[in-house]
Amino acid sequence: MSVIEILIEAMLMPLVAFVVGLFMVLMMRKIGARIQRRVGPPLLQPLYDIIKLYSKHTQTSHGWMHDIGIVMAVGGYVAAEAMLPVPGMNGIAEKGGLIVLTYMIMIPSLGLALGVGQCANPNGSIGIARALTAMLAYDVPFVIVVFGVAWHFGSTNLVEIIAAQQATGPAGWGITEMPLLAFAGLFALQGMLGKQPFEIYVAPHEIATGPMVEMSGKHLGGLFVMQCFQLYTAAVLYVTLFLGGGENWLTFLAKSFAVVAIPMSIAFVFPRYKTDDLVRLLWKWPVMAGLLGLAFVMN
Amino acid sequence: MTALDHLLLFSAATVLLALLVGQRPYGGWLSTVFYAGQFALLMQLAGVGYSGGIIVSSFSLTVLDHTMSWRFDALSWFFAVITIGAALLASWYSAGAWGKKFRADGGNIGLLHLALALNVFSMLLLLASGDFLSLFVGWELVSWASFLLMVMAGGAASRAALKYVTYAMAGAMAIFAGMALAYHYAGSLQYLDFVSVLPLLSASQGWMLVALFGCGFAVKMGLLPFHLWQAAAYAETPGPGAAFLGAISSRMGLYAIIVVLFQLIGLIPIEALKISFTFLDGQSLLGWVAAFSIIFPTFTALRQNDARMLLAWHGIGQGGYMLLGLAAGDALGSAGGLMHVFNHATYQAALFFSVFAVVHQTGTSDLNKLGGLITRMPISFLVMLVGIIGLAGMPPMNGFVSKWMVYRSLMLEGMPLLFVASVIGTLGTILSVYKLIHNMFLGQLRLEHQNVREVPWSMVAPMVILAAIVLITGMMPGLVLEPIASVQAALGLPVVNYTLGGVDMASGALDMIWVCGILFGGFAIGAILFYSGGRTQHIHQLDNYAGGHFLTADTRYQYSDNFYAGLMRVIGPMYRYSFQWLENSIHSVTGLLGSGMKSWYRNAQPSFYLLATAVLAMAWVVVL
Repeated sequence: MSVIEILIEAMLMPLVAFVVGLFMVLMMRKIGARIQRRVGPPLLQPLYDIIKLYSKHTQTSHGWMHDIGIVMAVGGYVAAEAMLPVPGMNGIAEKGGLIVLTYMIMIPSLGLALGVGQCANPNGSIGIARALTAMLAYDVPFVIVVFGVAWHFGSTNLVEIIAAQQATGPAGWGITEMPLLAFAGLFALQGMLGKQPFEIYVAPHEIATGPMVEMSGKHLGGLFVMQCFQLYTAAVLYVTLFLGGGENWLTFLAKSFAVVAIPMSIAFVFPRYKTDDLVRLLWKWPVMAGLLGLAFVMN
Repeated sequence: MTALDHLLLFSAATVLLALLVGQRPYGGWLSTVFYAGQFALLMQLAGVGYSGGIIVSSFSLTVLDHTMSWRFDALSWFFAVITIGAALLASWYSAGAWGKKFRADGGNIGLLHLALALNVFSMLLLLASGDFLSLFVGWELVSWASFLLMVMAGGAASRAALKYVTYAMAGAMAIFAGMALAYHYAGSLQYLDFVSVLPLLSASQGWMLVALFGCGFAVKMGLLPFHLWQAAAYAETPGPGAAFLGAISSRMGLYAIIVVLFQLIGLIPIEALKISFTFLDGQSLLGWVAAFSIIFPTFTALRQNDARMLLAWHGIGQGGYMLLGLAAGDALGSAGGLMHVFNHATYQAALFFSVFAVVHQTGTSDLNKLGGLITRMPISFLVMLVGIIGLAGMPPMNGFVSKWMVYRSLMLEGMPLLFVASVIGTLGTILSVYKLIHNMFLGQLRLEHQNVREVPWSMVAPMVILAAIVLITGMMPGLVLEPIASVQAALGLPVVNYTLGGVDMASGALDMIWVCGILFGGFAIGAILFYSGGRTQHIHQLDNYAGGHFLTADTRYQYSDNFYAGLMRVIGPMYRYSFQWLENSIHSVTGLLGSGMKSWYRNAQPSFYLLATAVLAMAWVVVL
């Protein structure tokens, strides 16, 4: 494939991700509304919100790292999307692979952490300390999953992982071959998205939304965009590893929305765990399931 | 005279120069020029480094029928590049304002230059060693040279240095015993004779050799359980010295491990050494020692409240990745392990430089007494940012590439637990380095630091050069992998299939040029989105509020102490300090035995001894 084609795909893939991510945010709000017996927002509400935040009159910045942190948070995901294959487009998926992607999606978190740090608000710093602790917690089961999947398919190349699953159909999907790892992955997904019960780093009533405490205007708008990407990335990664990727756009989107609906539905009926309980929980059940699953995969 | 002779003689001349003019104001600059000369001479040997082969020194020495010889191969060259490069930048850093302040504070700048030059010279001698005897001589010289560098600050530094030298002596004794054993088996101290006799040895003899050499070299490397000396000894050394030691000094242990365990003995015989009643063999034992050397020191670093100590503990932890990659044994893992030596040297030196720049301007490295310096020292901040991304092993910095190779090799070799252990180490590092940069540069600026300025260019330049190397070799790892491939060939390991952008292999390649290009493209899109939004209004750094109250600048609200309180409630009880306990108990047992001996030979109870001797003498007379 020529360089130009790859570059065009690398531009298109984040765009797709953003649009799909907007609808995922909408779905999340709708699910929340229905669980709470409300109607929920209209179709384009997420887009209106972003436009509103970016065009606010009062834009408060605490310094250049505060701004660049947001740039890194959005930019890191824009780059990560180019590594996640979608039907018909592989982007640079073959130049990186699963391990690179795992570390790529830490860059937005790092950017956010640095940006929040410069705001000099103790609530923000506490939020970041908690968020990084949560990352240490959910990434342990997640890397067990990554190892298991890579071992099972004999590759870290996401394109090959998808092709291997699509060649055999649902019987060869990751979820049927490695159900324990799929379970551990779902647990890690919940933590990765930072949804209840793993939402202690936001904790609005306690540390005033933590990392978001000093964010307003386009800073908050950037975080909104980041959330769209985050939902999309988590869903598509799970679909790629366990549900055979997308044969076409219809099944791809159906699977992705189905995957991301699970943590959302759980989120709205759970309170939050405190940090130490979160760590204990994530290091216990998903890790045990993951290691057991790994033992089955590698026997 | 060969090119190697020139290099060694010029290095000796640098020592002489530091001895003669090190005290003068221009001494630092002159030494820097001499290090640049050494670097240029090393580049004359680049053929050895890039295309293999051996260059022999024309000088040799015969002691009691043992011939000592010196030579350079690709491995020596690779380590020598890092050594001289680190010394060059450390010397540059100390030559200007830093040295002036050090002298004004009563430090002996001449001794610092001398100790640095001696370190470089002895390291080159060690790297050039061609047989067991010259290896041992070089080893001892390196130990004493680094002792000189560590001890010179006095106080806490000399206590740490004395601890180091105790460990180093114990390690040297183990190596000496290993050499004696090798001499006993082979009848000579030449490598070739040793290699030829190896297949004839029994398993227990093999274990003995591996254990003695392995433990001896592990002391300098700071591998568990011999790591306790390192953090304090490195952290208490004056700035440029600490950066130099942190960058390369302990890697001399890795060099010796590579030469003796990997090159001479080889991984296959080590793998054949089984441990009875377990599934472990010699190779997996090495892997687990490496994994524990990653995890324990990293999580110890997480608890440090002194920036220098935090970095020094990470230095021990990162050593584990190097050994882990080498222990995995395949082309990718060993290349990753070797590349991590280079990568670690670059970002660790940059981080130490940045921390000591802050110490230079504020007088403290206590993580609870800093904060908000980003606006005061933006370049130091950026250097630290590049350094911590490298240390944490995230793209686009070079630390990511070497760690990626280690992870990938553990995946290919099917070592899931070692893989998870190494990733846990990385995650712990991310937590720890965020605390480092947050507590120093982010958060609240203290009132007394309001007038702090960026350090002068003589200190900024080496930092920026290192940061640039970290970034460039992260984007184009092929630059470093090229000499590494010839090191692998020289060691008889499988050679990694590298490209300029990374590694080319079936089932999951890496091309950092693309990855970084797309990442920076992503940042550009993020920036366009951000800066096309509404106009921002910048708030003064000290204009803040919390909990609905405006905070005046003299209210301290920096969140710094016990940064990961929630995590510590879970893992805090796991810190048992067992190694510290073990060290203390060995210390007190030795003390007890020592005082027993002392009271014996010092005749604390002369009348008792006199009586006992008289009784024994009478008994002797009577019995006979």
